[in-house]
Amino acid sequence: MFRKAFRSIRLVVFVTLLLTFFLSGCKSDKKPVMKIGYMICNSEQETLQRFRPLTRYLTEKTGIDFVAVPVDTHDFEKRFNAGEFALTHTNSLLYIILKEKDGLKLIASEKRGQFGPRTAGAIITRTGSGISKLADIRGRKMAFGPMLAPTGYLAEYDLMAQAGIDPERDLGYYSIPSGSFKHEKAIYGVLYGRYDVAAAPVLDLELLVGEGKISPDDFVVLAQSSLVPYCTFGAAKGTPPSVVEKVRRALVALMPDETVEVDGERLRVLKSAWIDGYEELLDSDFNSLRDMARRANMPPYQKF
Amino acid sequence: MLTDGYDKWLCFLLVVTLIALGVLLSGTGARKVGPAPDKALEREIAYQSQLNFLKKLYEPVESLRRTGNLQAALFKLDELARTYPNEAYGLILKGEILYRMGALEEAVACYVRGVRLNGDYVDWKTPLSRRAELQKVADEGLRLLGDKARANPENRSLAAALKNVYYLRSRLAGGCD
Repeated sequence: MFRKAFRSIRLVVFVTLLLTFFLSGCKSDKKPVMKIGYMICNSEQETLQRFRPLTRYLTEKTGIDFVAVPVDTHDFEKRFNAGEFALTHTNSLLYIILKEKDGLKLIASEKRGQFGPRTAGAIITRTGSGISKLADIRGRKMAFGPMLAPTGYLAEYDLMAQAGIDPERDLGYYSIPSGSFKHEKAIYGVLYGRYDVAAAPVLDLELLVGEGKISPDDFVVLAQSSLVPYCTFGAAKGTPPSVVEKVRRALVALMPDETVEVDGERLRVLKSAWIDGYEELLDSDFNSLRDMARRANMPPYQKF
Repeated sequence: MLTDGYDKWLCFLLVVTLIALGVLLSGTGARKVGPAPDKALEREIAYQSQLNFLKKLYEPVESLRRTGNLQAALFKLDELARTYPNEAYGLILKGEILYRMGALEEAVACYVRGVRLNGDYVDWKTPLSRRAELQKVADEGLRLLGDKARANPENRSLAAALKNVYYLRSRLAGGCD
């Protein structure tokens, strides 16, 4: 009788231990899931194509299951406030907006082009347009990039304001090209005569020249802003500091030969994302952009 | 032995061949003892023609730089870099332009690449020497980046930029790659 009871107890203990083992196994296999909000540059499809390999790389390096979420620039703040994203990938102006309003923490900035993690905005005209200095653009047709673009809108707006030109009153008219690839449309718009001048991110000019699509002899740079940071990774206030540090380390260590597998295809992470690498900037490196936003009465310093 | 005409003829040809061989050998010997070509002069000519080629190639960039069109000069350099991606002259020129535009870290990185490719740029004695400019940038880099790096010891990017400054200083001090 006693022996039978002992055997039953032994069986229960064994089954309990077995279940504990399997359940704990399941628990350890499950990675925490976090979303990275990627600001859409041209299209949702392009954004995912560029950043899914990078997201996979971060998952492999940190052990956190990161999910890439493409986000429209104008929806970003609202969705970030709702707590949707642990990490953000935005342009430098959106970084400042989220930092000032919601305490976003700086992780690392992208390097791309001649100025590494920085770039500038320029006002250009086509060669032979008859415009030789900034003052000549009064009464002319101008194209800008999207309104929250630091080097395709804000920098040029500020350059004009500093030169005593009010973009709202002193131009013949200005417009923002519709649809995607706004910066390229503005540049080509000038080269092919639709506009007299354009707000052109220096990086876009650099890439177009580098690819041989345009020649430096085709256009004249009338004015150029100081250098400001390029696209930037940030972390929400609630994201654990250990995760932030792991992500920062992984980004700064990222080299051109790093590959990951996405949908059965092995891809180079940096090449897919069109990036040269990542650099740790200081928040004070964004001060020149803050000054531009203040002078141009742009968010987050806008006053009505 | 030399009785018939045919033998005499053969003998005559043998003597002529020997004399010709002797003249030929003595001629070669004479050339050996003549003045040797001036290798130093040849090197100098090659160096000067390379210098002239580089100056001519990069003249549009220099011209834009002189008139203060720094961004246009950079675009022109980009265009040239498509054909000559690893030319030290272009990299040093790019470093100078980037420095003037306020991109100190990138300027130092360009100088480092240029000097690694051709050490003449840190040598006082060569026509390519940019030693004074390099020294100025290295000193400023040490001061500005050094301060920033000390204030942010965990920042790996500042540490990497400072490493480039140290490399440049070591080459200016006469160190090798």
